[in-house]
Amino acid sequence: MSVITHPVRKSNLATMIGSAGGISVGTALARARANLETMREQALTVIDASITALETVPAPTGPEDMSARREQAYREATSLIDAAGPFELFDLCRAAAGLCDLIGALDPEQPFDWRIVTVHARSLRLLQTLPPEAAPERAHILESLNEVVQRKLAQTG
Amino acid sequence: MSAIGETLRESASVNLSGAVTMVVDDSAFALELTGQALMAFGVRARHACQSAAEAKEILKEQTIDLLLVDCEMPDMDGFELVRWLRRSGLEPNAFVPVIMTAAHIRRQRVSEARDCGASFIITKPFSATTLLERIVWVGRDNRPFLEVGDYFGPDRRFRKAPVPGEERRADLIRKREQEAAAAAEAAGLAEGEAA
Repeated sequence: MSVITHPVRKSNLATMIGSAGGISVGTALARARANLETMREQALTVIDASITALETVPAPTGPEDMSARREQAYREATSLIDAAGPFELFDLCRAAAGLCDLIGALDPEQPFDWRIVTVHARSLRLLQTLPPEAAPERAHILESLNEVVQRKLAQTG
Repeated sequence: MSAIGETLRESASVNLSGAVTMVVDDSAFALELTGQALMAFGVRARHACQSAAEAKEILKEQTIDLLLVDCEMPDMDGFELVRWLRRSGLEPNAFVPVIMTAAHIRRQRVSEARDCGASFIITKPFSATTLLERIVWVGRDNRPFLEVGDYFGPDRRFRKAPVPGEERRADLIRKREQEAAAAAEAAGLAEGEAA
């Protein structure tokens, strides 16, 4: 197979980053954290809405709507990760990512045990409501979810 | 170029005030989050698009210095947008540094992520620190662009070590200070032993 190599070109971005002026990395990051902090309440609202949506996605009534329902659950889980990530709500991200791993690993036609979505929705709600100091309980929930996901992933091949 | 995963020093300075960035994400909230981070980094000009179609129209008309694209979007997704851009022949946008973001990448789409021509993919959750590190990294990325079969984009073979090149003045100063300190320590030891 032929390979065409284009000459290395310095990007505008590279020229700008190294140019005089600008701000220190420390200042940039402090500002970013402050800016993001103003969005925390909004993020919590998005997270809550995503969990509610996961709780209320109707179970598929047959193979014909299985794919659409799975996609719906996948979208809600990814939007939860979008909102929780910048605020370091890693437990919620891990739980949602497990559900994504499982749905993302399936072929569209493959059968799917819908109770997985229900279990994840309930666990996410629990993680959301547990106080920060309940670390052992959080760890236990995540461990149990991980076991379920790993077992189901093994079945999907 | 800094190595992947290399952390930025807090005292190092970055100047992104002149950079024109474009963020493409179907989620309005995610767009706003990324926009807030970019604003904090000193970026003044930002295009925020909720669809690939909207982004394409702007990319045809205006020069962009950095593109941040979400992988999963309805209709045309992030992978397709980047593949289109790289093959578009648009100068200089076809060669722009592209960071893709993903809350999750499906198993079946891993090869698409590798082959679409993006400069880097960040999986969420990511922090502001990670985002800034990757922006600096893709800015300084000096991999050649390759056309191999259907692929058009930066050489996918990553170098783990920093690429040799001209060192920045601050780094040189730091290096000399460390050498001087090491020499002084060695001299002190030698004096101690002589005494």
